[in-house]
Amino acid sequence: MNDDVNHVRNTDGPEVSGGDGVDRRGFLQCMAWAGTGLVWTATGGILSSVTLRQAAAADADAVGSFSFVQISDTHIGFKGEANKDALGTFEQALARIKALEQAPAFIIHTGDLTHAQKPGAFDTVTEALKGTKAEQVFYVPGENDVFADGGKEYLGRFGGSTGTGWQSFDYKGVHFIGLINVLNFKAGGLGSLGQAQLDWLKKDVDRLPSSTPIVVFAHVPLWAVYPKWGWVTDDGGQALSYLKRFGSVTVLNGHIHQIMQRVEGNISFHTALSTAFPQPAPGVGEGPGPLKVPAEQLRSLLGVREVNYIQGKSRLAIVDSTLA
Amino acid sequence: MNGHQGSIRERWFWRLAVMGAAAFGGLAVATWAPAGQAAHSGAAGQMAQPVAVAAQAGPRIEIAKHKYSSPTLTVPAGTTVTWLNRDEDVHTVVSTTQAFRSPGLETDEAYSYKFTKPGVYEYFCTLHPLMTGKVIVK
Repeated sequence: MNDDVNHVRNTDGPEVSGGDGVDRRGFLQCMAWAGTGLVWTATGGILSSVTLRQAAAADADAVGSFSFVQISDTHIGFKGEANKDALGTFEQALARIKALEQAPAFIIHTGDLTHAQKPGAFDTVTEALKGTKAEQVFYVPGENDVFADGGKEYLGRFGGSTGTGWQSFDYKGVHFIGLINVLNFKAGGLGSLGQAQLDWLKKDVDRLPSSTPIVVFAHVPLWAVYPKWGWVTDDGGQALSYLKRFGSVTVLNGHIHQIMQRVEGNISFHTALSTAFPQPAPGVGEGPGPLKVPAEQLRSLLGVREVNYIQGKSRLAIVDSTLA
Repeated sequence: MNGHQGSIRERWFWRLAVMGAAAFGGLAVATWAPAGQAAHSGAAGQMAQPVAVAAQAGPRIEIAKHKYSSPTLTVPAGTTVTWLNRDEDVHTVVSTTQAFRSPGLETDEAYSYKFTKPGVYEYFCTLHPLMTGKVIVK
């Protein structure tokens, strides 16, 4: 087990330091789990955890409650040493989704569907996800999905009616926003949303009452996980400034292939596991990239995430499951 | 493009590099040239493929741990520079002015470009834009 990956952290600084403890807001900081499934929720600022089964029983009758799945960084086409069978682990992740007691309302894929836009990889992902019980799948791209053609293929498939690819939708009172921060990379630059998308976002949320629960999903973390490795969106702060007035904002990201968490006021940030390969903890080693681990550890570092919304509760319950 | 093909190319590259093949400077060959990316294929047709690859054994920049091994390289005009990806991540070598643009380079895949005109050529990786470098051509 890799402690760095299996802990969920909150940090106050601009970069994740790796220290566990209690931050100055008094949130419980670290929660370890290893595939047994824990749900955490917060009541009055105190986090508590229960087992998945208890949570399901307690919340079965809640009106307007639903769950969805986040899958990320499937990297279809990856054949490196870090995982010779990325397609196999992807299929394992799908089996986990299909085995959920409550079928997810939908699935969100937070990018890097493909490994370097391999021919056929988009089809592999979309067809496989159709095989789950989810009614719909929402996508945002990772840099692997758009770098070769500036997003032409991705936007042709997923760009929607506007062709821009960013999107929002409402589901049972929750407002979901999918942002794209991997297009138009500049030399020496970082993930960015761009002014047009920021303008759209501001307009999109301006009409909403502050009591609306918000879920934002994007590939590169919107907060500064580790800028030295490019694990940040340079204009992410601007986007978040439009969301500060809301009572519950959940930000779901991928890109870094490990679970990290941060809470800032009413905004909670969560990065997800990949289904393809792990990456090193921020700043550990010379740089980011596929991390080769002993074969018996690999599946404990890959996984999918279930997110439960319980009407009347301000925080969404995040349940990460590894493939181990 | 799969890793097997890449490794074959790399084996040739090493074998001929060890033989001390001089930089002919006369060939501009993209060692990774998928359909639509033939902009730098130059005179590649003159020789069998593996030999042509070795013939441009000029300066080589390795890509490892999200870094170009020679972030600044100075060469005379006419030099062919080769970038070789040693990471498991895919990387690219793309000019900030679009003077040259590699496809995605998998592990052990290489890309070459012949610099014919003096100038400063800045480039970066379009997947990991913090990776930057420049070639100064005199």
